[in-house]
Amino acid sequence: MSYLKQLTRAAVLGGAAMLTATSAQAAELGATGEPIKLAINEWTGQHVTTHIAGQVLEKMGYSVEYVTAGNYPQHSALADGTIHATLEVWLNNAGDIYPKMKETGNLVDIGPLNLETREGWVYPVHMKDVCPGLPDWEALKDCAEAMATPETFPDGRILSYPADWGNRSAQMIQGLDLPYAAVPAGSEGALVAELKAAATAQKPLVMMFWAPHWVLAEVDVEWVELPAYDPACETDASWGPNPNEVLDCGVSPPDTMKVAWSGFADKWPAAYAFLEQMTMSAAEQQKMMLAIDQKGEKLEDVVSAWVAANEATWKPWMDSAMN
Amino acid sequence: MNGLPSKLDRTAVMWIGLAVFAAFCFALRGELRWLSDYPGTLVIPLAAWLNVVMTWFVSTFQFIFRGISAVMDVPMAAIQAALHWLPWPATMAVFTALAFRAGGWKLALFTFLSMTYMLVTGYWFESMNTLALVGVSVPLSIAIGFGLGVLSFRSDTARKIVDPMLDLMQTVPAFAYLIPILLLFGFGPVVGLIASAIYAAPPMVRNTILGLERVPPEIRESGQMSGCTNRQTFWLVQLPTAMPQIMVGVNQSIMAALSMVIIAAIIGGFGDIGWEVLSTMRKAQFGQSLLAGIVIAILAMIMDRVSRGLTDLERNLAYSQLPPKQRHGHWIVAGIVAVAAILLAQVFPELKVFPDEWIFHHAVSLWLNAGIDEIVRNYSAVLDGIKNSANFFVLLPLRIGLIKAVYPKFWGFAMTPEIAALYWGAAILLLGYCVWKGKKSLAIVIGIATPILFWGLNGTPWPVFIALVGLTAYLAGGWKVCAFAVASLVFMLVNDLWEETMRSVYLCGAAVFLCFVIGGSLGVWAAHSDRVSAILRPVNDTLQTMPQFVILIPVLMFFAVGEFSALLAVILYAVVPPIRYVEHGLRNVPAHVVEAAKQIGCTPRQILFEVKLPLALPVIMLGLNQTIMYGLAMLVIAALVGTKGLGQAVYLALGKADTGMGLVAGLSIALVAMTADRTIQAWSNRKRKALGL
Repeated sequence: MSYLKQLTRAAVLGGAAMLTATSAQAAELGATGEPIKLAINEWTGQHVTTHIAGQVLEKMGYSVEYVTAGNYPQHSALADGTIHATLEVWLNNAGDIYPKMKETGNLVDIGPLNLETREGWVYPVHMKDVCPGLPDWEALKDCAEAMATPETFPDGRILSYPADWGNRSAQMIQGLDLPYAAVPAGSEGALVAELKAAATAQKPLVMMFWAPHWVLAEVDVEWVELPAYDPACETDASWGPNPNEVLDCGVSPPDTMKVAWSGFADKWPAAYAFLEQMTMSAAEQQKMMLAIDQKGEKLEDVVSAWVAANEATWKPWMDSAMN
Repeated sequence: MNGLPSKLDRTAVMWIGLAVFAAFCFALRGELRWLSDYPGTLVIPLAAWLNVVMTWFVSTFQFIFRGISAVMDVPMAAIQAALHWLPWPATMAVFTALAFRAGGWKLALFTFLSMTYMLVTGYWFESMNTLALVGVSVPLSIAIGFGLGVLSFRSDTARKIVDPMLDLMQTVPAFAYLIPILLLFGFGPVVGLIASAIYAAPPMVRNTILGLERVPPEIRESGQMSGCTNRQTFWLVQLPTAMPQIMVGVNQSIMAALSMVIIAAIIGGFGDIGWEVLSTMRKAQFGQSLLAGIVIAILAMIMDRVSRGLTDLERNLAYSQLPPKQRHGHWIVAGIVAVAAILLAQVFPELKVFPDEWIFHHAVSLWLNAGIDEIVRNYSAVLDGIKNSANFFVLLPLRIGLIKAVYPKFWGFAMTPEIAALYWGAAILLLGYCVWKGKKSLAIVIGIATPILFWGLNGTPWPVFIALVGLTAYLAGGWKVCAFAVASLVFMLVNDLWEETMRSVYLCGAAVFLCFVIGGSLGVWAAHSDRVSAILRPVNDTLQTMPQFVILIPVLMFFAVGEFSALLAVILYAVVPPIRYVEHGLRNVPAHVVEAAKQIGCTPRQILFEVKLPLALPVIMLGLNQTIMYGLAMLVIAALVGTKGLGQAVYLALGKADTGMGLVAGLSIALVAMTADRTIQAWSNRKRKALGL
């Protein structure tokens, strides 16, 4: 495919009106003999989403192959066509390699997954004893000392995302003028381990986190109620409780995106049309995550059971793609 | 001064000069900001330049590397397909027979049990993928290593290029060059293969050179006199003579390649055991990650013992003299079992795919997780106490200095001017006493530690640190080592990585110090007790072969995100060399010297401190060297626990797909390692000569 043609394709796919037009005419199955390779990333929610898509694609007559791929490196594979689609890209943590590859035109967005997400500061429920005013964010002002550690003293400690995900917590602490220090966690595993340990040992903890996440099925948390997110809060200092700073507000719920290799739509038109339609509900995903991670059930079995029970959800996506 | 001062006086003059210079810098750092903060205008945008070069290189030569990638995929896919096609009893039979051939029935039993473990934990499929990966990466590393070794042996020019490359290959963390390899070779397990070849080839190169150099000239000449051509002399005379040393290289290459296999999982594309370890680490599931990590550890132990057994000359000689029936018996048995398994698998599917009902993975991992939870629940106060003491009394003073770390809340008093004066007064008195008693090394240590503990590494102006390292390097190894050390530090300075470097130096420094205290004591104990030694050996093996990621989860659960957790993770990995080297050094002190010391009536304590330890010092220093290497290697992994420093810089670059920044940060880690290595090696060699060893 020439570079110019790729550019036009990307432009065409960008327009919402054209999107419906492509899916309306995409009745052909395309190359059913070649397997569609779907990326399997490191978290269970993504496995669920991907396997649901995979099972429906198989019902449509495709063969599907699941390929393990790191969250960042997968975009290089998608641009090469080594992997053909990845179905749950969290745009708040896609790495800089994603926009770089998108620029080349070899990788395209299929469309949003519409997972109902949430992001912000959470705390295990016993924290209400440590900091009685919670969940109101202003209560944090008075509990800084109780949440101080040797490294942050005299400030309180808020655990934030690993440094390579960007340090929004630090900006919020500054924006809201709180006597806290944001300590980067290093990895998702570190966040989860701290949350579990804090809940088990009844130790104080406030940390940046997101939902849906499987650990929330195991640990009871509540969300700090922050001033509601508004785009103006990012640019306008006078907006929000602190007149002198920007970012004195909560976080906007992160978007989740389905992303494909640029040649996908030409090679498997009906599959592409189906993936455009597909969305995922956070509540359903959470239930399946619990069954897999906590009860130790097999991923394939859990997803098969869901597909069998929820034909009403996925059948329309499939039908509109096939006809 | 009259005439030429003696060597010793010159050293003293240098230290005093350094002290004056340091006092000057400390005094003026308030007025001259550039003494503590290197000015941003003088930063060289090396990372940006590297990115430009890399973009051009990738777009121009990508097709060549993609071709290599495609070629390497073929054998790997073939091995993978074969291992998945073979029913599991057949695979087990073949590997058990191989282990029997290499190490007798003990190793065979160990291999059999290990493979049973892979089955019942449900990791068979992933383990076979890992074997396929290793099956290509090991021959690749050995071939590259052998080729480079022979080349450097034959040509001095090649040697001059290869030598510094080897150091870099072993010390630049793989994470730093993952992005460029990913772009060049494309997504997939080949990236991991390349990374492991880069890391695993150097020991092979070094041992090949060493082996060939040690071939006595008489042997080569006798080959030439009997009419060998040059090629024949090399292949039929030199190489076989050098073989034992080369085989040491093969063994070390295998171990290095296996430790790198987990890097392949960062990229993905293969569904191997490393992927399981990383995914479960991400979920903080200790049980699951331990079960997966054990697979890698036992694979490493089996490959280590098997490769050593198969290349053991005496063993092979004895084996070749056995009657044919005994020589081939185990192969015949394995063959029969394998064929039977392949045939029976057509009827019984259980033989093809191990049934889920026989896997106890979930229950065991839940049990392990519950165990960790139990410790967290019941001992959190104790754990917090340990962590806080370490933070207040060791880590914080070292980082920000006593001047900021001493709080009334934790120390019982504030850092008033009187207390500061007391601190300095005591230090100076102690220093004077040491000088008076002639304990020069102790005096130097006190002289360095006093200001650093007071102001912290953070508050130490960079010219002082560079001067200190430069002087130490000069005294240990002369101008060359000194120039290298200073140039390395200047590299970090001009690339705006000074703060990160100091953070890493501080974390590694504290870890290495504690490793030496803990590991050294254990090593002394092991040297005097065979039982302790026997207990420590498998513990050491496990700590070294288990993927480091597994250790991180319990450390995090117990001690939360922070520097103490990172410190512990580094210690758990880097404590092994001091144990081994101290024990080895003490056990190899000549017996007649110890005997003589006993004769003149030394107490056991005197024998240890006045006789054995000084004599073992060169060996112990090599252990120190290894500890530093291990600590620096662990830096990147410790960044997953949330440390600031060079390790984190490497991760940031990985997330940003910023090749230049990754390489510069990785190179900085390598330069710290190489500086420490050169200084210590030079010192150790000199000491060895002085002791007449």
